[in-house]
Amino acid sequence: MPPRSKENHFVLLLTVGLAGWLVPGGGHFILKERARAIIIFAAIVLTFAAGLYIGSIGVVNPVTGKLAYTAQIMNSPAVAIIGHFTKQGEYSVFGKPNEIGQIYTSITGLLNLLCIVNAVYLAHLKETEHARA
Amino acid sequence: MSLITTLILANFTTPERIGVTALSMLWLLPLALSVAVVYKATKVREVRAVSFIKESVVLFASIVVFMLITAVALLAIAWLVT
Repeated sequence: MPPRSKENHFVLLLTVGLAGWLVPGGGHFILKERARAIIIFAAIVLTFAAGLYIGSIGVVNPVTGKLAYTAQIMNSPAVAIIGHFTKQGEYSVFGKPNEIGQIYTSITGLLNLLCIVNAVYLAHLKETEHARA
Repeated sequence: MSLITTLILANFTTPERIGVTALSMLWLLPLALSVAVVYKATKVREVRAVSFIKESVVLFASIVVFMLITAVALLAIAWLVT
C-alpha cells in the first residue's frame, strides 16, 4: 500500500481533531481505540452534566463568563447552543453553585482539549509507523 | 414534552443549594476522579480493566493527598502571617 500524501495526512489529523471536538472521545473512536473513546466520552459528559446540574445552564455564559466560556467551548460545539440561551442573563447564577459549576464545566473542556491533542498525536504516530512499514 | 423530560430539564435550569462550608470542599472529589480517569485514558499503553482502574485510583489518591498537603501548608502560612 503506498504511503499517504502530505495533504491526506493533514486531512486525517484535522478529521481526528474535529471528531474529538464534536463528540468527546470521537477522535479516539475514529482511530479504533474504542475502549479509550468510551472512557473519555463517559467521564467528560458525566462531569460536564454534573457541572450543569450543580450550577444550572447559567454557568455557561459567553457574556459575563468569557474566560470560563473559552474553556467550556472545548467540550463540544453544542456548548455554543447553551451559550445562546444563557447570554441574555435569564439563568443567572451566583455564589458557590456558580463557582463549582464553572470549575466542573471548564475543567472538562480542558480535559477534552487534552484528549483532542492526544488523538491527533496518536493519528500522526500511526501514520508515520504505517509509512515506515 | 413528557413530564419526566420537563422535570429533568428543570433540574438543569435551577442551581443546587451549596453553602459556604468546609463540606463543600468535598465537591473536588468527583472532579479529581474525572481528571484521573481521563488523564490515564490518554496515557496507558493498553486499556485493560484491572490495571486501568488501579492506575486511575493511584492518580486520584495522589491528587487528593497533594491537595490536602497544599491546603495544610496554606493554612499554616495564613496562621503564621495573621
